[in-house]
Amino acid sequence: MRQAIAYLLGVILVFGAWAMISYALAELKGRPVLPYPWQAASAAGENIWTLLSAFGFSALRFLVALAISFFLGLPVGLAVGFEPKLDQFLSPLIYLLYPMPPVALLLFLYLAFGLGEVVRLVVVVMALFFQVVVAAQGAAKFISPIHVIAVRSAGASRWQVYWHVVIPATLPNVLTAARVSVGLGITMLYIAETKLGILLPPGQGLGRFIEYYTFRADIALAGVVALAILGLLFYVLLEVLERKLCPWKYVGVKGAGS
Amino acid sequence: MIEVKNVTLVYGSGSESVPALDNISFTVGEGEMVAVVGPSGCGKTSLLLILDGLLRPTSGQVLIDGEEVRGVRRDVALILQDAGLLPWKTVRENAELGLRLQKRRESVDGILSALGLNGFEQRFPAELSEGMRRRVGIARALALRPRVLLMDEPMANLDSLTRERIQNLILDLWWEMRFTGVLVTHDIEEAVFLGQKILILSPRPARIRAVLENPGMGEHEYRGSPEFLEQAKNLRRILEMNG
Repeated sequence: MRQAIAYLLGVILVFGAWAMISYALAELKGRPVLPYPWQAASAAGENIWTLLSAFGFSALRFLVALAISFFLGLPVGLAVGFEPKLDQFLSPLIYLLYPMPPVALLLFLYLAFGLGEVVRLVVVVMALFFQVVVAAQGAAKFISPIHVIAVRSAGASRWQVYWHVVIPATLPNVLTAARVSVGLGITMLYIAETKLGILLPPGQGLGRFIEYYTFRADIALAGVVALAILGLLFYVLLEVLERKLCPWKYVGVKGAGS
Repeated sequence: MIEVKNVTLVYGSGSESVPALDNISFTVGEGEMVAVVGPSGCGKTSLLLILDGLLRPTSGQVLIDGEEVRGVRRDVALILQDAGLLPWKTVRENAELGLRLQKRRESVDGILSALGLNGFEQRFPAELSEGMRRRVGIARALALRPRVLLMDEPMANLDSLTRERIQNLILDLWWEMRFTGVLVTHDIEEAVFLGQKILILSPRPARIRAVLENPGMGEHEYRGSPEFLEQAKNLRRILEMNG
């Protein structure tokens, strides 16, 4: 509840600052530069169905990409971080590919995945996948040996060691990393929706919505706000997920969780 | 019965090899409690891991009930230094861990209440005092109803009152469950209080320097008695010898 109020206050603050900047820019330049919040709001109202549909498409795209990134990245990262042999062989490869912008491989991605929805997802997944891998690998390297001994001493199989120790020990860090990379993910989503494959209609992605209305400042800005809200939504979603999945991080002495 | 025969452990190989255990041999009789003392870092923990089947000795062998230890055995339990609880599991889940890993359905309620942990089943380790955490670690091992209990400094880093309480607890549980015990410690009084036989190890690489019989062990009242103090003095003298 208190957090909800804090978020609300934050929103009010942002819109207040936005209005002031709009005003300042208009005064400075002698002509409107940045539409006022209420102008963007009314533009959003006039195009509400297109905007909502674009939001839905983007949210779904991002959710699917995030889920695939976790599904693929978590096992790879944990295995590489926890098994020294894999670490030796695969780490150089991972760090070679990690800084590669997916769009630099555009031609090959088109040839491999076509010009449709798949290639858009692939680009977002490629960005998020490595974030998850690197976070999981880093966390898995610092698993306390005593926790591994504790389960192995009771006769745990390799899979049980992962289930009882490796996964829970790294989950908080991985979720935090995922939260941090929401920003990067949204950027990649924008690129995927505007620059990749066959051109989308404005109602099938916020990125395309914004681009489509490039010269209608108020509508474009409504799209930008929607995109920001989308990012915030996933940020909050991942935080809630961390609270639900890692309850032990939020108990005991103050600060003991970190 | 545990038979340790000429166990040698060398970490690494070639010019970088570090000898940890040097030709260790001893036996622990059925239902006997043996304390292993030695300076910090002398390889005591490695010895326990070998007894538990988690670590392979470089040479020599360990027999439990005449059978060579080649891996983790279900009738052997290990109590780890600082309890080694999993922070993401509640008290109950931690205590049940060994049982569940072995697909056993027994309840831990009895052992939890015997150790004064009832009412705390749903708490996480971070919410407990250090003494309670150690008791959860003991519960986790004893829930397996082991025939052999290996203990790696279960009382280290505890305040003296809590330490004595947990020592008494282990003694009572030993009387009750009659497990064969190996207790590793660097605390002289603790070794005298809990070891029917005390093995004294040298600094790294660990060799057995002496074996001290300690027939007075067994009662809470032994602690502080003249015989107890005499034994502690003997033990300290052997530990302080050079070489």
